[in-house]
Amino acid sequence: MNQKIGVFICHCGTNIAATVDVEEVTQFMAQQPNVEYSTNNLFMCSQPGQLMLQRYIKRKGLNGVVVAACSPQMHELTFRKACEEAGLNRYLFQMANIREQCSWIHDDRAQATEKAKAIVNAAVRRVAWQEALEISHVKINPHTMIVGAGIGGIQAALEIAESGNQVYLVERESTIGGRMAQFDKTFPTLDCAACILTPKMVSVGHRKNINLMTLSEVEKVEGFIGNFTVTVRTKARYVTDACTSCGACVKACPVEVPNWFEGLLGKKTAIYKLFPQAVPNTYVIDKEETPPCIEACPIRQEAAGYVALIRDRKFKEAAQLIRLRNPLPAVCGRVCYHPCETECNRGYVDQPIAIQHLKRFALDWARQRNIELVPPKIERREEKVAIIGSGPAGLTCAHDLAVKGYQVTVYERSSLLGGLLGLGIPAYRLPRHLLREEISYLRDLGIDFRTNVTLGKSFSLEQLKQQGFKAIFLAIGAQSGVKIEIPGENTEGVYSGVDFLRRFNLGVRTALGKKVAVIGGGNTALDAARTALRLGAERVVIHYRRTRSEMPASPYEIEDTEAEGVAIHYLIAPIKIAKAHRSLQMTCVNMQLGEPDASGRRRPISISGSEHQLEFDNIIVAISQKPEIEVLADEKGVPHLALTPWGTLQVDQDSLVTNQEGVFAGGDVVLGPSTVIASMGLGRRAAESIDKYLNGQPLVDFKTHMPKPIVPRGETFRPHRYSPMFKDLPKQKRVEMSKLDPKIRNRDFSEVEIGFSEEEAVREATRCLNCGVCVECLECVKVCDPEAIDHEMQDRVQQIKVGQILLSTGYDVFDARVMSQYGYGKLDNVLSGIEFERMLSATGGTGGKILCKNGQPPRAVAVIHCVGSRDENYHKYCSRVCCMYALKFAHLVKDRTKAEVYQFYIDMRAYGKGFEEFYKRVLLEGTNVIRGKVAEVVESGWSNKEEGHLIVRCEDTLIGKFREIPVDMVVLCSALEPRQDTAKVRQLFSISLSPDGFFLERHPKLDPTSTMTDGVYIAGCCQGPKDIPDTVAQASSAAARILATAQKGEVEIDPIRAQIKEELCSGCRMCNSVCPYFAISFDEQKKISIINDALCKGCGTCVATCPASAITGKGFTDQQIYAEIEGVLA
Amino acid sequence: MALEMNQPGVWSKSERELRGAFLSQLEVIPGGDKIKACIQCGTCTGSCPVSYAMDISPRGVMALFRAGDIEAILRSRTIWVCASCYVCTTRCPAGIKITDILYALKRIAIEKGIFPSRFPVYHLSEQFVKMVNKYGRNYELGLIRRFNFRTGLKKFWQMAPLAWKLFIHGRLSFRPSRIKGLDQIHKIIASAQREPVPVSRETSEFLGTVGYAATTEVEEKVAAGGNQA
Repeated sequence: MNQKIGVFICHCGTNIAATVDVEEVTQFMAQQPNVEYSTNNLFMCSQPGQLMLQRYIKRKGLNGVVVAACSPQMHELTFRKACEEAGLNRYLFQMANIREQCSWIHDDRAQATEKAKAIVNAAVRRVAWQEALEISHVKINPHTMIVGAGIGGIQAALEIAESGNQVYLVERESTIGGRMAQFDKTFPTLDCAACILTPKMVSVGHRKNINLMTLSEVEKVEGFIGNFTVTVRTKARYVTDACTSCGACVKACPVEVPNWFEGLLGKKTAIYKLFPQAVPNTYVIDKEETPPCIEACPIRQEAAGYVALIRDRKFKEAAQLIRLRNPLPAVCGRVCYHPCETECNRGYVDQPIAIQHLKRFALDWARQRNIELVPPKIERREEKVAIIGSGPAGLTCAHDLAVKGYQVTVYERSSLLGGLLGLGIPAYRLPRHLLREEISYLRDLGIDFRTNVTLGKSFSLEQLKQQGFKAIFLAIGAQSGVKIEIPGENTEGVYSGVDFLRRFNLGVRTALGKKVAVIGGGNTALDAARTALRLGAERVVIHYRRTRSEMPASPYEIEDTEAEGVAIHYLIAPIKIAKAHRSLQMTCVNMQLGEPDASGRRRPISISGSEHQLEFDNIIVAISQKPEIEVLADEKGVPHLALTPWGTLQVDQDSLVTNQEGVFAGGDVVLGPSTVIASMGLGRRAAESIDKYLNGQPLVDFKTHMPKPIVPRGETFRPHRYSPMFKDLPKQKRVEMSKLDPKIRNRDFSEVEIGFSEEEAVREATRCLNCGVCVECLECVKVCDPEAIDHEMQDRVQQIKVGQILLSTGYDVFDARVMSQYGYGKLDNVLSGIEFERMLSATGGTGGKILCKNGQPPRAVAVIHCVGSRDENYHKYCSRVCCMYALKFAHLVKDRTKAEVYQFYIDMRAYGKGFEEFYKRVLLEGTNVIRGKVAEVVESGWSNKEEGHLIVRCEDTLIGKFREIPVDMVVLCSALEPRQDTAKVRQLFSISLSPDGFFLERHPKLDPTSTMTDGVYIAGCCQGPKDIPDTVAQASSAAARILATAQKGEVEIDPIRAQIKEELCSGCRMCNSVCPYFAISFDEQKKISIINDALCKGCGTCVATCPASAITGKGFTDQQIYAEIEGVLA
Repeated sequence: MALEMNQPGVWSKSERELRGAFLSQLEVIPGGDKIKACIQCGTCTGSCPVSYAMDISPRGVMALFRAGDIEAILRSRTIWVCASCYVCTTRCPAGIKITDILYALKRIAIEKGIFPSRFPVYHLSEQFVKMVNKYGRNYELGLIRRFNFRTGLKKFWQMAPLAWKLFIHGRLSFRPSRIKGLDQIHKIIASAQREPVPVSRETSEFLGTVGYAATTEVEEKVAAGGNQA
C-alpha cells in the first residue's frame, strides 16, 4: 500500500512548545516510514492552521493525517471536518494528544520531547492501517418524553408543545407542580409561587399535544436517540374523571397518614388532593399493598376497613361494611379461626389486632340498636340454581347467587339449617338465635330453604336437572366420623364426635355417664368434651396421640377447654375398647414422636410394653371426618362423580366444577374437614363460577379472592411508606375480651365470651397500623355523588415510543433528624424549610399564619443556614438557594409578625440578579445577621421561669464571642440532595452521576443540559441545586436542544462499532451477556450472535470477550492497536 | 512579631521554626491537612463546653495558624484548657480533627518550651502522663503534690481541707494503687512510641505543595537568600 501520511504538530501557543521541542519532533517524524510531509503550526485549530492542513492534503495527495495537539475531546471533530472538506475520509485522520498527556504533566524538556515523538509515532503507525468508514443516519421520532413535572418539566413541556410536537409528561405524584407548588413566595422578587406557577400548570392540562401522565413511573427504557421505547406504569388513581372535586370523600375517610407535602407537620386522608390548584384536579386514593388481614381472608372481608371505622366510632358503618361481603357476619365474628389476625402486621410489633372481636362488637352493637342492615337491591333473573347443603359453603354460594338475582333453592337433610354451624358448633360458642337471624336475613333475599330432604333418598341430581335447575352446587360437607379402626369401637357407649354433637343439637337424648373420654385433638374433640361437661359429666379427659404443639385445634380453644376443667392427656392412643361390667375398658398405649410425616407433623410411634387400662362410662371418638359420598352413589354404590384418593370430590381448582357439567362443589366435601371461612371462600368462588357458567362465559379469569401466601416481614418493614418501621413503632397491649368465669360457664350453654364495650373496641381499633394507607372501608364510595370512585381500578402499563427524553426529576430535602444537635423531629417549633414554606402558604395548615405549636405567634425566630450543606459529614456542596430563601423567610416573618429574626450564616451568597439588593433590603428591615454556624439548639428550662422556648448556641465569629440566643421558633435551611432513587433512575436511562450524587452533565460549562447518553437530557435540580430562574433557563435550553435535534429529522451514528465475522462466530453467546448496551442478540436461525448497529457504542467489551476473535471493532482493529503499540515502543 | 513578613511569601524566622514543627506533627494525624479547609464557621467554639475558659476560641486557633502566628496559639491557654470531649471534631463541617490538632500543638509547646504566662496547667498534663506511666492509672494525691511542688506549695496546704473531705468519703487514697498487668501498659506505650505512625497519602501530598510547605522549600530559599544577604 502506498501510504502518504502528513504529520501536523501544534505548538498550542506555549502550552506544548514550552515543554516539547516541536521542531525536533517535526524533524523526527519527517524521517519515519510512510510519512510524506511533516510540519508544525502555532495553533493548528486556528483557521490558518486548518487551511494549511487542507492545502497539504490536496497538494501532497495525503491519504492519512495525524495532528499532534490537544485531547480528541477538544478538537478531534474540528480536524475530522477539515479533512473531510479537503476530500479525505474523516476516519483516515488520527489525533495524537501531546498536551494533556505530555507537555502539561512534564517538566523535563528533553524527556517530554522523546515522549511526544513516541506518541506521534504511535498515531502515524496506526493511521496507516485505518480504513475509510461511512457515517450512518437514523431517523428521529419527533415525540419527547419529560420525566418529572416540576417547574422545569412544565416549562420544557410547554416550549416543546409550542412547536406542535407531542410531549409525554410523566409525573410520579398525583399532580404536577413539584416543589414550587409547596412554596409561598419566591425570592428575590417575592412573587407568589402559586400565582406564577398555576397558569403554566393549567396550560399543561389544556394542551392537546401534551399527554399528561400522573401517578406514573418509568419502568424500562430501550432503544437509542431518536428511537426510544419507554415502558411507563401508571398507578391506579381509583377515582375517575367524573370527580367534581367536591371533597366529600375526604370528610368520610377514616384514615390519616403524614402528608409529605406539608413536611412532618400535616396529615392527609387516604383519599386526597395535595393542594386546591392541583392538575389534574381530581382526587386520588393512596393505596399500596392490600392490607394482610384482607389478603389472608378467603372471602376478602375488608377487615382493615371496619377496624378503621370502629376507630372513628362509626359503628353502624362498620356493621354495614361487614355485612356487604359477608353473608354470615355474626358467625364469623364468633367462630372464625381468623387468618386475618395470624397475618396482621401489628403482630410484628407486639400482638395482632383483635379483628374478630371487633367484628363481633360492630355487629352486636348494630343488633342491640335494631339497626336494619338493608339488603342490596336485586334484579331478578329466571335461572334456577339448586344448592345442596346449608353449611357455610352452601349459604355463601346461595347468598351471592341470590344477590345476583338467581332463583336459589337450598336443600338440607336435617331439620336445622346451617350445617355444622348448627349441628356441630356448640351454642356456648355460637348462640343459636344468631344463626337463626343470619338465615332469616338470607331468606329475605329470596332464597328458598327446604329442610328434611336428603340427596340420594328424597331426590337425585338428575331429578333436579329435570325440574329446571340450570346449575347445582354440592356442599354436603364432611359429616361422617372417621373410625380409629380398633377392636371394640362399635361397643355401646362409644360415640363418634360429630354424631354426638349432632344428636345433642337436634335434641336427641344421648345417655352419658360420669366419666367421659374423648379421643382426638381437633376442634370437634374440644367441642365434644366441653359439651359433655355441660351435659353433666364429672370428669372429661381428652386423649391425644401427639403433643400440644401438634394439636390442630385453635390454641385459644385449648386454653378455654382446660380452664373449664377438661384434662388433656398427650402422647397416648387407644388400641382396644371392651365392655367391662357397667363401664367401658379402654386399653391405651403411650406414644413418642418420630420423624415428620406427610402432613409435616411428627409421626407418633407407640412405646411397646406401655399398655395400660383405663375405665370410662363413655368414649367419644373425634379424630376426623369425611364426606358422606354414599349419597352420591347409585344403587350399586358407584359414585356419580369423580373422587380424589382421600374420598373428597374432585373438582377443578379454579372453577370448582366437577366432572359433570353444571354440577359444582365446594366446602368440606372438597376440602375435607376444614374451617368455616375456607368453606365460605369456596362457596363464593362457586357462585362466581356458576354465574359465568349460566352467562355462557368461559370458566377462566376469576375475580373472587383466593388468599396468596404472605411473605414474612422483617422488623425493618413499614406497614406503609409514611409509617416508621416495625421496630420503631410504640408498643401497645391488645385489649383482651372478658369471658364468663369457667367455673360457672362449664355447666350451661350461655356464650363464653362477653364482648367488647364501645371504649374497649375503640381502644383496640386505634392499634391498627393502617397497612397500605387505604383500608377499603368504602365510605368514600357511599358519599360520592358522581360515582367517581372505583376501588377495582387496575394499574396500567404502556409502551411509549419517543425520540428524546428529558429528565427533570428534582431533589429531595435533607432529613435534618440525623443532625441531632438541631433537635429537628424531637423539639417542637424546630421546622424544616419546607414546613415553614407550608406554614407561610395560604393553602398550608395554618392558612399562612406563623404560629408556634401552642398557637401563639413567635417572639423571635432563628433561621439556620447550611444544614447538611457545606458539611463534610453530610453534603460537601453548597445548596445555593438557602441563603436567599432564608432572607425571604426573614422578610416574611417581619412582614407577618412582630418577631425578631436571627440569621445564622457562614457566608452570605447573594450571587444572582437582584439578590444583593434583596439582602440589603432585608438588612434594612432590621433582621439580625450573625456570622457563625449554630452549634446546637436546646430547650430552655433550667428554671420554670425560662421554660417554653428554645436556645440557639453559637459563636458570633465577627465579635469572637459565644452567644446563647433565646427564640421561640427555629427554621432549618436543609440541604437539597439527590433523590433517594437516583441510582435506580440513573441505571434506567444509562446516565452517570457526579461525585455529589446528582446527574452528570456532558460538560459543566459548555453542555450543561445533555448527558453522555445521546438523546437523554437533564434540567433543574436533578443536575445540581439551583433556583427557579436557573431551572427554567436550563429547561428552556434543553427544550431548544431537543427541538433542534427533532427538526434535523435524523442523527448521525458514528461508524466506530463492533462487527461480527459470521464465519468465525461459534454462537457461544458470551458477548450477549457482556454488552453493557444490550446491543448483541442471538440469531436462532443462523445460530450466531448479531449486533444492532444502532445500539452499539463501540466500547469493545465484546471484542475482548469473544474467544474465537470473531468480533472486531471498526476503527479499533487488532492491527491498528498493535501498530499503535509498536509505534510507542519504536 | 511573628505576623510581620520581611519578604513577600516568607514567614518570619521564629514562625518558620514553629510552623515546621507543627506541619510535621500534622503529618501523623490522619486528615490533619484539612486544617486548611477551615471555613471559620465557629461550630467548634459554639459546641465547646469549656470555651468560656479559653482566651482564644478554637476557631481563633485555626485563624491564627492561617495568619502565621503559631506562637500566639502556644502562648494562649486554649490548648491546655481543652477537655478532649471531641464534640468540635464530630461536628466540624470541614472535617478538621480539632482536638487532635490541639494535642499536636501541646506537643510542640512542650518541645519548644513556649507556655502561657501564669497558667501552669501544662505541668499537670506532664505529671499526669508520668503518673499513668508509673502506676498504670492516676494517683490523685501524688499528682496534685507534684503539681504543687512545681507551681507553689501554698496551694497544696490551701487544698488540704478539701482533700480531707474527699478522704472521709473514700474518694481520695493516700497511697497509690497500681493496676494489674502494669508491664503490659508499659509495653503498649513503648510500642506506640517505637512504631512510626502511618502517614496518609493525602497528608504527605499536601505537605509537598507550595504555600503550606514553609519548612522545606521556602526555608531553603530563605536560607540561600540569607547567605547572599
